[in-house]
Amino acid sequence: MNDIFQCGDSAALVAYLYDECAPDELALITAHLKGCAACANEIDALSATRRTLASWTPPDLALGFQITREDEPRPAKILEPRIAWWRAPLPAWAQAAAALVIFGAGLSVGAVRNTAPEPAATTATVSAVPVAAQPAASSVSRDDLAQLEARIKAELTQLRSSSNTATAVVARGSDEALIAQVKTLIEQSEENQRRDFTVRMVDLAGNIETQRRVDLTSVRQQMGLQQGAIGTELRQQREVLGRLVSERTR
Amino acid sequence: MLIRPLAPVGRLSKQNGTGSRGMTRTDEELVARAQGGDIESFNQLIVRWERPIYALAYRVIGKEEDARDVCQDAFLRAYRALPGFKGQAKFSSWLYRIALNLCRDWIRRQRRAPVSQLPEDMDAIELASEKGPVESIEDLVARRELSAIVEEAMSELSEEQRTAIILKEYHGMTFQEIADMQGCPLSTVKTRLYQGLSLLRRRLEQQGQVMPQLVKRV
Repeated sequence: MNDIFQCGDSAALVAYLYDECAPDELALITAHLKGCAACANEIDALSATRRTLASWTPPDLALGFQITREDEPRPAKILEPRIAWWRAPLPAWAQAAAALVIFGAGLSVGAVRNTAPEPAATTATVSAVPVAAQPAASSVSRDDLAQLEARIKAELTQLRSSSNTATAVVARGSDEALIAQVKTLIEQSEENQRRDFTVRMVDLAGNIETQRRVDLTSVRQQMGLQQGAIGTELRQQREVLGRLVSERTR
Repeated sequence: MLIRPLAPVGRLSKQNGTGSRGMTRTDEELVARAQGGDIESFNQLIVRWERPIYALAYRVIGKEEDARDVCQDAFLRAYRALPGFKGQAKFSSWLYRIALNLCRDWIRRQRRAPVSQLPEDMDAIELASEKGPVESIEDLVARRELSAIVEEAMSELSEEQRTAIILKEYHGMTFQEIADMQGCPLSTVKTRLYQGLSLLRRRLEQQGQVMPQLVKRV
């Protein structure tokens, strides 16, 4: 800031106007304004301008911004229904393991069936003549193995088809839940829209009423001004006429 | 991440709980929490600053809807840039600067004088809702007319003068803050304010709106 204030220094006057000048400068300007009508009038005019500026108001708009995350838990997660463990489709590794277990079980059942008619002899043969007993056992088990293989294949096919059926049922179930969820969301959305619409309509009606009253007042004011002007004119004309009549009478 | 506009204000005010039974947190506290990932804290900052930022944008660019877009964009940018905000300046100053830059971009895009026409809805409705039933209709009409006259007079200033006056008159910034915001020396801010006010004064006097009380100080 300048130490010496010069008359008409706009920067100093603005600083004074907004009360942002240094104390020593403030004292200088205050003293100057007491003796300088031009600067004093300038300050008064600018102050009046500032007061007028206060009337400029922005429209009262509904804002209500809000930050939300896209990765927040979404309804889609809720839409996935929980499936009971016994209804859920097995993973591939579990199906393979189950097939192996069944194959092994079938194999052992087949082996037990082949040896079932003469358990004692077999035991004895095995124990007494193990080498001689082997060819007989192997020739029987080949046929049985072929049958067993066919049976296991059939069982696997059956298992697969039942698994597909279960998956389809589960999928159908999840679809139904999904549709129900979507319906609920749509209903909620419609309800919200109805509510918003009602609120807006009420606001609009209020605003229209306010506007109507404002317009009416403006019209009344204009009419009043017009009537006043006409009345003044009439009065003046009457006065002129009166004056003319009195002059004529004289 | 997204910013959701137009939530009903009533609902927003319900969401505006501080979580500490009426204890109001400072901007700095809310910024720190938001930087730590608390979105609600940032939303509280939005509630606190959306009106002033919208008012700034509206007065600078003069269009209701565009001002709202600028306001929304300002908060979105602020949120994205929040990790980089180190608190060198006040949060509000930082936010104002973002908003002003967006206003400048908008004005450049428009390539025409801003605030050249009155917005369609700038009328007694808003003024009535703002003031409430205390104000009479006559006052309302007078204020509406005066507001329109001021807005029109402001539109005739240069962008720099108008911005300086808006920041000073309606946002109470210091000369230094305006200089920082506009990236110019302090003296330039004073010149812009003086010239802008003088132009406004002449324009408003022509309209019969400014009648200074001529006080003889001699």
